[in-house]
Amino acid sequence: MKAARTPGERLIDLVLDPQDPAYRQAYEGRRTQGDPPRWYDRPATVLGALLIGFTIAVAYVHTHRSAPQTQKVHADLVTRVRDAQQQADDLQQRVADLGNRISSARDEALVGDSTLTRQLRAQLVAAGELAVHGPGLQVTLRDAPVPDADDGLGEAQRAGSTPIAATHQLTDRDVRSVVNELWADGAEAVAVNGIRLTPTSAIRFAGQVVLVDFEPIASPYVISAVGDEAGLATGFASSAVASRYTTQASANGIGFSFAEHKDLALPAAAPISLRYATPGGTK
Amino acid sequence: MIAALALIVGLVVGLVLRPTVPHGLEPYLPIAVVAALDALFGGIRARLDGIFDSKVFVVSFISNVVVAALIVFLGDKLGVGSQLSTAVVVVLGIRIFANAAAIRRHLFRA
Repeated sequence: MKAARTPGERLIDLVLDPQDPAYRQAYEGRRTQGDPPRWYDRPATVLGALLIGFTIAVAYVHTHRSAPQTQKVHADLVTRVRDAQQQADDLQQRVADLGNRISSARDEALVGDSTLTRQLRAQLVAAGELAVHGPGLQVTLRDAPVPDADDGLGEAQRAGSTPIAATHQLTDRDVRSVVNELWADGAEAVAVNGIRLTPTSAIRFAGQVVLVDFEPIASPYVISAVGDEAGLATGFASSAVASRYTTQASANGIGFSFAEHKDLALPAAAPISLRYATPGGTK
Repeated sequence: MIAALALIVGLVVGLVLRPTVPHGLEPYLPIAVVAALDALFGGIRARLDGIFDSKVFVVSFISNVVVAALIVFLGDKLGVGSQLSTAVVVVLGIRIFANAAAIRRHLFRA
Protein backbone atom coordinates (compact mmCIF):
# COMPACT_ATOMS: atom_id res chain seq x y z
CA MET A 1 0.00 0.00 0.00
CA LYS A 2 1.28 3.42 -0.84
CA ALA A 3 2.09 5.84 1.93
CA ALA A 4 -0.29 8.67 2.78
CA ARG A 5 -0.61 10.99 -0.19
CA THR A 6 -1.49 14.63 -0.46
CA PRO A 7 -4.69 15.54 -2.30
CA GLY A 8 -2.59 16.83 -5.19
CA GLU A 9 -0.87 13.52 -5.57
CA ARG A 10 -4.21 11.76 -5.34
CA LEU A 11 -5.46 13.86 -8.27
CA ILE A 12 -2.41 12.84 -10.28
CA ASP A 13 -3.05 9.27 -9.25
CA LEU A 14 -6.57 9.56 -10.59
CA VAL A 15 -5.16 10.22 -14.03
CA LEU A 16 -2.02 8.12 -14.05
CA ASP A 17 -2.92 5.22 -11.81
CA PRO A 18 -6.67 5.02 -11.57
CA GLN A 19 -6.94 1.66 -9.91
CA ASP A 20 -9.89 1.60 -7.59
CA PRO A 21 -8.30 1.55 -4.08
CA ALA A 22 -11.24 -0.54 -2.94
CA TYR A 23 -9.87 -3.60 -4.73
CA ARG A 24 -6.55 -3.28 -2.92
CA GLN A 25 -8.26 -2.70 0.43
CA ALA A 26 -10.60 -5.64 0.03
CA TYR A 27 -7.67 -7.80 -0.92
CA GLU A 28 -5.64 -6.74 2.11
CA GLY A 29 -8.67 -7.34 4.36
CA ARG A 30 -9.23 -10.82 3.00
CA ARG A 31 -5.59 -11.77 3.25
CA THR A 32 -5.54 -11.04 6.97
CA GLN A 33 -8.58 -13.32 7.38
CA GLY A 34 -7.00 -16.17 5.51
CA ASP A 35 -8.96 -15.60 2.27
CA PRO A 36 -12.03 -17.79 2.79
CA PRO A 37 -14.07 -18.12 -0.43
CA ARG A 38 -17.47 -16.54 -0.06
CA TRP A 39 -20.72 -17.99 -1.39
CA TYR A 40 -21.64 -14.86 -3.29
CA ASP A 41 -18.37 -14.45 -5.20
CA ARG A 42 -19.49 -16.10 -8.40
CA PRO A 43 -23.11 -14.88 -8.51
CA ALA A 44 -21.98 -11.32 -7.81
CA THR A 45 -19.40 -11.41 -10.58
CA VAL A 46 -21.93 -12.88 -12.97
CA LEU A 47 -24.53 -10.32 -11.98
CA GLY A 48 -22.09 -7.45 -12.48
CA ALA A 49 -20.94 -8.70 -15.84
CA LEU A 50 -24.55 -9.27 -16.91
CA LEU A 51 -25.51 -5.75 -15.92
CA ILE A 52 -22.56 -4.26 -17.77
CA GLY A 53 -23.27 -6.25 -20.93
CA PHE A 54 -26.94 -5.37 -20.75
CA THR A 55 -26.23 -1.65 -20.30
CA ILE A 56 -23.91 -1.58 -23.28
CA ALA A 57 -26.39 -3.48 -25.45
CA VAL A 58 -29.23 -1.16 -24.42
CA ALA A 59 -27.16 1.89 -25.31
CA TYR A 60 -26.27 0.36 -28.66
CA VAL A 61 -29.87 -0.49 -29.45
CA HIS A 62 -31.07 2.90 -28.30
CA THR A 63 -28.58 4.81 -30.43
CA HIS A 64 -29.39 2.83 -33.52
CA ARG A 65 -33.09 3.03 -33.05
CA SER A 66 -33.37 6.81 -32.89
CA ALA A 67 -32.25 7.18 -36.51
CA PRO A 68 -35.16 5.21 -37.98
CA GLN A 69 -37.38 7.01 -35.48
CA THR A 70 -36.72 10.39 -37.09
CA GLN A 71 -37.26 8.80 -40.46
CA LYS A 72 -40.57 7.44 -39.27
CA VAL A 73 -41.68 10.87 -38.10
CA HIS A 74 -40.66 12.32 -41.45
CA ALA A 75 -42.53 9.64 -43.38
CA ASP A 76 -45.54 10.21 -41.17
CA LEU A 77 -45.52 13.93 -41.90
CA VAL A 78 -45.16 13.29 -45.61
CA THR A 79 -48.18 10.97 -45.51
CA ARG A 80 -50.21 13.56 -43.67
CA VAL A 81 -49.31 16.27 -46.18
CA ARG A 82 -50.18 13.94 -49.06
CA ASP A 83 -53.50 13.10 -47.41
CA ALA A 84 -54.31 16.76 -46.96
CA GLN A 85 -53.41 17.45 -50.58
CA GLN A 86 -55.58 14.55 -51.70
CA GLN A 87 -58.43 15.88 -49.62
CA ALA A 88 -58.01 19.36 -51.10
CA ASP A 89 -58.01 17.86 -54.59
CA ASP A 90 -61.17 15.89 -53.81
CA LEU A 91 -62.90 18.98 -52.51
CA GLN A 92 -61.83 20.93 -55.59
CA GLN A 93 -63.25 18.18 -57.75
CA ARG A 94 -66.49 18.35 -55.83
CA VAL A 95 -66.63 22.11 -56.28
CA ALA A 96 -66.17 21.67 -60.01
CA ASP A 97 -68.90 19.00 -60.15
CA LEU A 98 -71.35 21.11 -58.21
CA GLY A 99 -70.48 24.10 -60.38
CA ASN A 100 -71.28 22.06 -63.47
CA ARG A 101 -74.60 21.03 -62.00
CA ILE A 102 -75.42 24.63 -61.18
CA SER A 103 -74.62 25.81 -64.67
CA SER A 104 -76.60 23.02 -66.32
CA ALA A 105 -79.55 23.77 -64.05
CA ARG A 106 -79.19 27.43 -64.91
CA ASP A 107 -79.03 26.66 -68.61
CA GLU A 108 -82.24 24.70 -68.31
CA ALA A 109 -83.90 27.54 -66.48
CA LEU A 110 -82.77 30.07 -69.01
CA VAL A 111 -83.76 28.06 -72.05
CA GLY A 112 -85.25 30.31 -74.68
CA ASP A 113 -83.59 33.44 -73.38
CA SER A 114 -80.44 33.40 -75.46
CA THR A 115 -79.40 37.00 -74.82
CA LEU A 116 -79.39 36.46 -71.09
CA THR A 117 -77.54 33.16 -71.42
CA ARG A 118 -74.89 34.72 -73.61
CA GLN A 119 -74.49 37.65 -71.27
CA LEU A 120 -74.19 35.33 -68.29
CA ARG A 121 -71.62 33.14 -70.00
CA ALA A 122 -69.49 36.14 -70.93
CA GLN A 123 -69.57 37.31 -67.33
CA LEU A 124 -68.68 33.85 -66.06
CA VAL A 125 -65.71 33.61 -68.41
CA ALA A 126 -64.51 37.02 -67.27
CA ALA A 127 -64.88 35.93 -63.65
CA GLY A 128 -62.99 32.75 -64.39
CA GLU A 129 -65.82 30.56 -63.21
CA LEU A 130 -66.25 28.73 -66.50
CA ALA A 131 -63.72 26.38 -68.02
CA VAL A 132 -62.78 27.68 -71.44
CA HIS A 133 -60.78 26.57 -74.40
CA GLY A 134 -59.57 28.29 -77.48
CA PRO A 135 -56.51 29.48 -79.34
CA GLY A 136 -53.89 31.29 -77.38
CA LEU A 137 -50.35 31.70 -76.24
CA GLN A 138 -48.40 29.59 -73.78
CA VAL A 139 -45.41 31.15 -71.99
CA THR A 140 -43.00 28.96 -70.04
CA LEU A 141 -40.62 30.29 -67.42
CA ARG A 142 -38.14 27.87 -65.90
CA ASP A 143 -35.73 28.37 -63.01
CA ALA A 144 -32.06 28.29 -63.87
CA PRO A 145 -30.52 24.93 -63.01
CA VAL A 146 -29.32 24.90 -59.39
CA PRO A 147 -25.53 24.99 -59.25
CA ASP A 148 -23.92 21.87 -57.82
CA ALA A 149 -23.34 21.93 -54.08
CA ASP A 150 -19.64 21.20 -54.51
CA ASP A 151 -18.77 23.92 -56.97
CA GLY A 152 -16.99 25.98 -54.33
CA LEU A 153 -19.94 28.09 -53.28
CA GLY A 154 -21.17 25.43 -50.90
CA GLU A 155 -23.12 26.83 -47.99
CA ALA A 156 -23.74 30.16 -49.64
CA GLN A 157 -25.97 28.49 -52.22
CA ARG A 158 -28.24 26.77 -49.76
CA ALA A 159 -31.87 27.78 -50.12
CA GLY A 160 -32.68 30.79 -48.01
CA SER A 161 -29.09 31.72 -47.21
CA THR A 162 -28.87 34.43 -49.83
CA PRO A 163 -31.38 37.20 -50.35
CA ILE A 164 -33.76 36.36 -53.14
CA ALA A 165 -32.74 39.47 -55.07
CA ALA A 166 -29.15 38.22 -55.22
CA THR A 167 -30.10 34.94 -56.85
CA HIS A 168 -31.65 34.41 -60.21
CA GLN A 169 -34.51 32.37 -58.84
CA LEU A 170 -37.81 33.26 -60.44
CA THR A 171 -40.29 34.85 -58.09
CA ASP A 172 -43.88 36.02 -58.06
CA ARG A 173 -42.82 39.24 -59.79
CA ASP A 174 -41.66 37.33 -62.85
CA VAL A 175 -44.86 35.32 -63.09
CA ARG A 176 -46.94 38.41 -62.44
CA SER A 177 -45.27 40.56 -65.07
CA VAL A 178 -45.85 37.90 -67.72
CA VAL A 179 -49.49 37.55 -66.65
CA ASN A 180 -50.01 41.31 -66.73
CA GLU A 181 -48.40 41.56 -70.13
CA LEU A 182 -50.71 38.84 -71.44
CA TRP A 183 -53.79 40.63 -70.09
CA ALA A 184 -52.52 43.81 -71.69
CA ASP A 185 -52.07 41.99 -75.01
CA GLY A 186 -55.72 41.03 -75.03
CA ALA A 187 -55.95 37.69 -73.25
CA GLU A 188 -59.48 36.72 -72.33
CA ALA A 189 -58.60 34.07 -69.79
CA VAL A 190 -55.30 33.21 -68.11
CA ALA A 191 -54.15 30.22 -66.08
CA VAL A 192 -50.85 29.63 -64.32
CA ASN A 193 -49.78 25.99 -63.99
CA GLY A 194 -53.40 24.97 -64.40
CA ILE A 195 -54.78 27.44 -61.87
CA ARG A 196 -57.26 29.79 -63.48
CA LEU A 197 -56.87 33.44 -62.60
CA THR A 198 -59.93 35.35 -61.50
CA PRO A 199 -60.39 39.05 -60.78
CA THR A 200 -59.48 38.40 -57.15
CA SER A 201 -56.50 36.14 -57.84
CA ALA A 202 -53.22 36.96 -56.19
CA ILE A 203 -49.77 35.81 -57.25
CA ARG A 204 -47.55 35.92 -54.22
CA PHE A 205 -44.25 34.65 -52.91
CA ALA A 206 -43.75 33.04 -49.54
CA GLY A 207 -41.00 30.79 -48.26
CA GLN A 208 -39.21 30.52 -51.60
CA VAL A 209 -42.37 29.34 -53.29
CA VAL A 210 -44.67 31.12 -55.71
CA LEU A 211 -48.29 30.99 -54.59
CA VAL A 212 -51.21 31.45 -56.92
CA ASP A 213 -54.37 31.93 -54.92
CA PHE A 214 -52.52 30.35 -51.97
CA GLU A 215 -51.68 27.25 -53.95
CA PRO A 216 -47.95 26.65 -54.16
CA ILE A 217 -46.58 26.07 -57.65
CA ALA A 218 -43.08 25.23 -58.77
CA SER A 219 -40.87 25.84 -61.76
CA PRO A 220 -41.49 25.48 -64.67
CA TYR A 221 -44.20 28.12 -64.62
CA VAL A 222 -46.55 27.63 -67.54
CA ILE A 223 -48.76 30.62 -68.18
CA SER A 224 -51.55 29.92 -70.63
CA ALA A 225 -53.62 32.70 -72.11
CA VAL A 226 -56.64 32.26 -74.36
CA GLY A 227 -57.21 35.03 -76.83
CA ASP A 228 -56.51 36.10 -80.38
CA GLU A 229 -53.38 34.04 -80.92
CA ALA A 230 -51.82 36.29 -83.53
CA GLY A 231 -52.48 39.43 -81.52
CA LEU A 232 -51.21 37.83 -78.34
CA ALA A 233 -48.08 36.50 -80.03
CA THR A 234 -47.10 39.75 -81.69
CA GLY A 235 -48.05 41.83 -78.68
CA PHE A 236 -46.12 39.63 -76.30
CA ALA A 237 -43.10 39.17 -78.55
CA SER A 238 -42.62 42.90 -78.92
CA SER A 239 -43.19 43.67 -75.23
CA ALA A 240 -40.55 44.83 -72.78
CA VAL A 241 -41.33 41.82 -70.59
CA ALA A 242 -40.46 39.35 -73.34
CA SER A 243 -37.23 41.10 -74.20
CA ARG A 244 -36.28 41.23 -70.53
CA TYR A 245 -36.66 37.49 -70.11
CA THR A 246 -34.95 36.75 -73.40
CA THR A 247 -31.96 38.68 -72.09
CA GLN A 248 -32.13 36.90 -68.73
CA ALA A 249 -32.38 33.54 -70.43
CA SER A 250 -29.07 34.05 -72.16
CA ALA A 251 -27.41 35.79 -69.20
CA ASN A 252 -28.60 33.78 -66.19
CA GLY A 253 -29.64 30.49 -67.70
CA ILE A 254 -33.35 30.69 -66.89
CA GLY A 255 -35.67 28.96 -69.29
CA PHE A 256 -37.99 31.23 -71.26
CA SER A 257 -40.10 30.31 -74.24
CA PHE A 258 -43.51 31.07 -75.69
CA ALA A 259 -45.55 29.43 -78.38
CA GLU A 260 -48.93 29.82 -80.00
CA HIS A 261 -51.45 27.05 -79.50
CA LYS A 262 -54.47 26.23 -81.60
CA ASP A 263 -56.52 24.99 -78.70
CA LEU A 264 -55.70 25.67 -75.07
CA ALA A 265 -58.02 24.36 -72.36
CA LEU A 266 -58.19 26.35 -69.14
CA PRO A 267 -59.97 24.99 -66.08
CA ALA A 268 -62.55 26.88 -64.10
CA ALA A 269 -61.70 28.52 -60.83
CA ALA A 270 -63.74 27.99 -57.71
CA PRO A 271 -66.57 30.52 -57.67
CA ILE A 272 -66.10 33.53 -55.46
CA SER A 273 -68.86 33.90 -52.94
CA LEU A 274 -69.60 37.53 -52.32
CA ARG A 275 -70.36 38.20 -48.72
CA TYR A 276 -70.35 41.99 -48.55
CA ALA A 277 -70.67 43.25 -52.10
CA THR A 278 -74.19 43.33 -53.55
CA PRO A 279 -74.91 44.03 -57.19
CA GLY A 280 -75.90 47.63 -57.68
CA GLY A 281 -75.93 50.23 -60.41
CA THR A 282 -79.65 50.61 -60.92
CA LYS A 283 -81.21 52.69 -58.23
CA MET B 1 -14.25 -17.04 -17.60
CA ILE B 2 -17.73 -17.19 -16.17
CA ALA B 3 -17.71 -13.39 -16.05
CA ALA B 4 -16.91 -13.19 -19.77
CA LEU B 5 -19.79 -15.60 -20.47
CA ALA B 6 -22.14 -13.51 -18.34
CA LEU B 7 -21.04 -10.37 -20.20
CA ILE B 8 -21.88 -11.97 -23.54
CA VAL B 9 -25.19 -13.24 -22.19
CA GLY B 10 -25.99 -9.72 -20.99
CA LEU B 11 -25.16 -8.30 -24.41
CA VAL B 12 -27.33 -10.88 -26.16
CA VAL B 13 -30.23 -10.33 -23.76
CA GLY B 14 -30.06 -6.59 -24.39
CA LEU B 15 -29.91 -7.08 -28.16
CA VAL B 16 -32.77 -9.57 -28.19
CA LEU B 17 -35.12 -7.78 -25.82
CA ARG B 18 -34.42 -4.35 -27.37
CA PRO B 19 -35.88 -2.51 -24.38
CA THR B 20 -37.00 1.08 -24.87
CA VAL B 21 -35.25 3.57 -22.67
CA PRO B 22 -37.79 5.76 -20.86
CA HIS B 23 -37.55 9.33 -22.00
CA GLY B 24 -36.63 10.59 -18.54
CA LEU B 25 -33.66 8.23 -18.29
CA GLU B 26 -32.25 9.07 -21.72
CA PRO B 27 -29.71 11.69 -20.50
CA TYR B 28 -28.24 9.13 -18.09
CA LEU B 29 -27.64 6.48 -20.70
CA PRO B 30 -24.19 7.71 -21.85
CA ILE B 31 -23.11 7.98 -18.21
CA ALA B 32 -24.31 4.48 -17.45
CA VAL B 33 -22.40 3.20 -20.47
CA VAL B 34 -19.16 4.92 -19.47
CA ALA B 35 -19.55 3.78 -15.86
CA ALA B 36 -20.17 0.23 -17.09
CA LEU B 37 -17.05 0.29 -19.24
CA ASP B 38 -15.07 1.74 -16.33
CA ALA B 39 -16.22 -1.04 -13.99
CA LEU B 40 -15.47 -3.62 -16.66
CA PHE B 41 -11.92 -2.44 -17.28
CA GLY B 42 -11.31 -1.88 -13.56
CA GLY B 43 -12.46 -5.43 -12.88
CA ILE B 44 -10.26 -6.91 -15.60
CA ARG B 45 -7.29 -5.01 -14.30
CA ALA B 46 -7.90 -6.11 -10.70
CA ARG B 47 -8.22 -9.67 -11.93
CA LEU B 48 -4.86 -9.42 -13.69
CA ASP B 49 -3.35 -7.85 -10.57
CA GLY B 50 -4.67 -10.84 -8.68
CA ILE B 51 -6.76 -8.77 -6.29
CA PHE B 52 -10.19 -9.13 -7.89
CA ASP B 53 -13.07 -8.96 -5.48
CA SER B 54 -16.62 -9.64 -6.60
CA LYS B 55 -18.20 -7.36 -4.02
CA VAL B 56 -16.04 -4.42 -5.02
CA PHE B 57 -16.78 -5.16 -8.68
CA VAL B 58 -20.57 -5.02 -8.32
CA VAL B 59 -20.63 -2.21 -5.79
CA SER B 60 -18.22 -0.06 -7.81
CA PHE B 61 -20.35 -0.42 -10.93
CA ILE B 62 -23.64 0.36 -9.22
CA SER B 63 -22.28 3.18 -7.10
CA ASN B 64 -20.50 4.71 -10.08
CA VAL B 65 -23.71 4.75 -12.07
CA VAL B 66 -25.74 6.11 -9.17
CA VAL B 67 -23.25 8.81 -8.21
CA ALA B 68 -22.69 9.89 -11.79
CA ALA B 69 -26.45 9.99 -12.38
CA LEU B 70 -26.93 12.02 -9.21
CA ILE B 71 -24.29 14.52 -10.25
CA VAL B 72 -25.88 14.93 -13.64
CA PHE B 73 -29.37 15.09 -12.17
CA LEU B 74 -28.24 17.86 -9.84
CA GLY B 75 -26.53 19.59 -12.76
CA ASP B 76 -29.72 19.37 -14.81
CA LYS B 77 -31.61 21.11 -12.05
CA LEU B 78 -28.97 23.83 -11.81
CA GLY B 79 -28.58 24.31 -15.56
CA VAL B 80 -25.13 22.73 -15.94
CA GLY B 81 -26.32 19.23 -16.73
CA SER B 82 -24.57 18.77 -20.04
CA GLN B 83 -21.31 20.19 -18.70
CA LEU B 84 -21.34 17.89 -15.69
CA SER B 85 -22.26 15.01 -17.93
CA THR B 86 -19.18 15.83 -19.99
CA ALA B 87 -17.10 16.02 -16.82
CA VAL B 88 -18.28 12.58 -15.70
CA VAL B 89 -17.54 11.12 -19.11
CA VAL B 90 -14.07 12.71 -19.15
CA VAL B 91 -13.12 11.46 -15.69
CA LEU B 92 -14.39 7.95 -16.30
CA GLY B 93 -12.88 8.02 -19.77
CA ILE B 94 -9.45 8.79 -18.32
CA ARG B 95 -9.85 5.88 -15.91
CA ILE B 96 -10.87 3.56 -18.69
CA PHE B 97 -7.83 4.58 -20.69
CA ALA B 98 -5.40 4.17 -17.80
CA ASN B 99 -6.91 0.83 -16.83
CA ALA B 100 -6.66 -0.31 -20.42
CA ALA B 101 -2.98 0.73 -20.33
CA ALA B 102 -2.44 -1.30 -17.14
CA ILE B 103 -4.14 -4.31 -18.75
CA ARG B 104 -1.88 -3.88 -21.74
CA ARG B 105 1.19 -3.85 -19.49
CA HIS B 106 -0.01 -7.05 -17.88
CA LEU B 107 -0.76 -8.85 -21.10
CA PHE B 108 2.14 -7.75 -23.27
CA ARG B 109 4.64 -6.60 -20.67
CA ALA B 110 5.00 -3.43 -22.69
